[in-house]
Amino acid sequence: MPLEKFRTSQALTLGVELELQLVSLSDLDLAAASPDMLELLRRKSFPGSVTPEVTESMIEVATDIHERYPELLAQLLTMRDTLIGAGDRLNIGICGGGTHPFQLWSERRIFRKPRFREVSMLYGYLSKQFTIFGQHVHVGCVSGDEALFLLHALNRYVPHFIALSASSPFVQGHDTLFNSARLNSVFAFPLSGRAPFVLRWDDFAEQYFAKMEHTGVVKSMKDFYWDIRPKPEYGTIELRVCDTPLSVERAAALACYLQALCSYLLERNEAEPAEDDYLVYNYNRFQACRFGLDGSIVHPKTYEQISLREDILTTIRRIQSRADALGCSPALEDIYRITHAGSDASYLRREYAERGSVEGMVDSALLVFRGDASSQESFSSGV
Amino acid sequence: MIDIALLASDLAWPLTILIAWLAGELAHQTWKIPRISIYALVGFVFGPAQLAVLPHSQSASMLLLANIAFGLILFECGYRINLRWLLANPWIGATSLAEALLTFLAVYFLASCFELPASTALLLAALSMATSPATIVRVVNEQRSSGQVTERVLHLSALNCVLAVLVFKIIVGLVVFETSGSLWEASYNSLIVLSVSVIIGASAGFAVPALLRFTHRTNQDSTLAFTISIICLVALAHSLKLSPVLAALTFGLSARHRRIVFNSSQRGFGTLGDLLSVLLFVFIAATLEWRQVVAGIGLGLAIIAVRQLAKIIGIGIFARISGISLRKGLLVGMASTPISAFVILVLEQTRYLGINLVEELAPLAAAALILEVLGPIFIQRALIWAHEVPDAEEPARAP
Repeated sequence: MPLEKFRTSQALTLGVELELQLVSLSDLDLAAASPDMLELLRRKSFPGSVTPEVTESMIEVATDIHERYPELLAQLLTMRDTLIGAGDRLNIGICGGGTHPFQLWSERRIFRKPRFREVSMLYGYLSKQFTIFGQHVHVGCVSGDEALFLLHALNRYVPHFIALSASSPFVQGHDTLFNSARLNSVFAFPLSGRAPFVLRWDDFAEQYFAKMEHTGVVKSMKDFYWDIRPKPEYGTIELRVCDTPLSVERAAALACYLQALCSYLLERNEAEPAEDDYLVYNYNRFQACRFGLDGSIVHPKTYEQISLREDILTTIRRIQSRADALGCSPALEDIYRITHAGSDASYLRREYAERGSVEGMVDSALLVFRGDASSQESFSSGV
Repeated sequence: MIDIALLASDLAWPLTILIAWLAGELAHQTWKIPRISIYALVGFVFGPAQLAVLPHSQSASMLLLANIAFGLILFECGYRINLRWLLANPWIGATSLAEALLTFLAVYFLASCFELPASTALLLAALSMATSPATIVRVVNEQRSSGQVTERVLHLSALNCVLAVLVFKIIVGLVVFETSGSLWEASYNSLIVLSVSVIIGASAGFAVPALLRFTHRTNQDSTLAFTISIICLVALAHSLKLSPVLAALTFGLSARHRRIVFNSSQRGFGTLGDLLSVLLFVFIAATLEWRQVVAGIGLGLAIIAVRQLAKIIGIGIFARISGISLRKGLLVGMASTPISAFVILVLEQTRYLGINLVEELAPLAAAALILEVLGPIFIQRALIWAHEVPDAEEPARAP
């Protein structure tokens, strides 16, 4: 089946998807609770969409299409409250974070749905290792060509989103020394990484995709696990490198940072993207995953070493006017705060040090997601 | 010269445990039957009243061991109960009251039809309310299940046990008061034992986490620390003639709700929990007598049927409003089958009251034995039908 036509979207519209953790309030390990949650949530109309993910301890929610930050944030907050209400009725905790700090992949259960079963058969333990939680942001594009331009123009900013959203310092009970260890699990998939350097949609569809399909390796765009991928049926590009932040407020801020950045890039303020930009791509991505905001990246055009934190601050200054025009300056302030106060990964590490255990980390993640972090009343957050 | 009789009596327990374990493994592998069903079967067959492999008089140390085993399981049960859930979703409490009340009335009515004296009928009805948390915890751990049926059957069993103990003690109090006329004797057994057991359990729930924090052992496996604490607690309760079971349950409950620190510990106390559960389920079934079981079989079977129905209806009617599908609600009812262990221990404890409940409540012994074996299978089926158990085929094979 040839790749479908790229649907036209209104430029710079946003949609956010969040993969969330379902946690047992008894031992704070992941719990196979998504079938029960979905059954309960189906009864009333959900403010957005809610779907199962590959293992039963994950749930995915998605917002409608939004143009502006306040509406996006409002919907995310309503979605969060609905989820928490359902979780309270079923004794299930819900939280963000790119990884669960101590779950064992072997104990996960694949959701009963044919596609997930197939994926599980194909990928073996990788599909259970894939119990990781990401935020995906869709940005609307007027044409396929514009989508591919944006996708490649964003290449040098991918580390920003990794470092700002990083919330997966622990895996299987141990500190990985990474800020985003989650992305390491994504890299294990054969079709992960960067998209091929093609700038015209017709070339992408007729040459690259048609050839790949002919090889039998892929059937649809869904089979690519790229960091940024075009989504022709929505008319968007989808940024997939972010860990799910601990709070929905931060999720909204990240989405709007991307929105303002895209607005800036679409004005062609920077040198055209080129294949050679990708020479430093994997290195920069590693720096962001490993060191977070303290990482240093190599500028793809000048080969100059820059501190990731500095680069983000510079970018904030550059895109400020677009953010003002788009009404998302509060989001940019939030991003600015992250560069000073640290990412969710550093917050989680501090909680670990303070509370003394990985279980304590999950407990604080539950409180942050509820918007309840200031409350020192410990455990399971009750009512 | 080897004394064969002495050797045989010394080896009775170890060999029975070996055989029970082996039979449990074989049955679990071949027919996927829950292991504890088989342990109970072996215990009953080898019991003093049947093949008499096991000695007639239970030694105090065996009773203590059984209580420790029971204590470990009930601690875990208590630890998994989230009281805040009952506030967040009041329909759980409503479900619990409905199913307990319905069971009480149905069994009382049934017993009256069988022309039992009113006091016996009341006691029978009270004990029928309780679902055995021990059986549920063991099957849940064995099946590694998780989901609403698992979660609810655990909470409901803890709640209806508390209700059953309260109602049972009140009725016993009334019976003792009627026969002896001494209010002190009546209230001592009902109240003091229960409240002191609760108090020592709750104190342990404060002290142990505090100790762990004090010794900075918060990020290490705390299985051993909790195990030793439970052993001490059970021994104390045992020696003071309190309720070790209730003390352990309260310990678990307060340790969970008062934890300022978080500890990881092995689910089901790991290998030690497995070992002691063989002993426990053999021990409990061994106390049953064939004669009694036969005597009570008619009413026993009727109780099982009526009780099952009452629980399924009581839980089913509140299923949707409390947030789960009707199907899952019915399955929670189905999983609430076992009475067994708990009831038998309560019966044993009332022997010294002067009323021979064990004789009078023969139907319960029959029901207990049947459910000791069948109960775990009911729970297992309910969990499998609710899709809360990992699929056997799941370990992915290449197509």
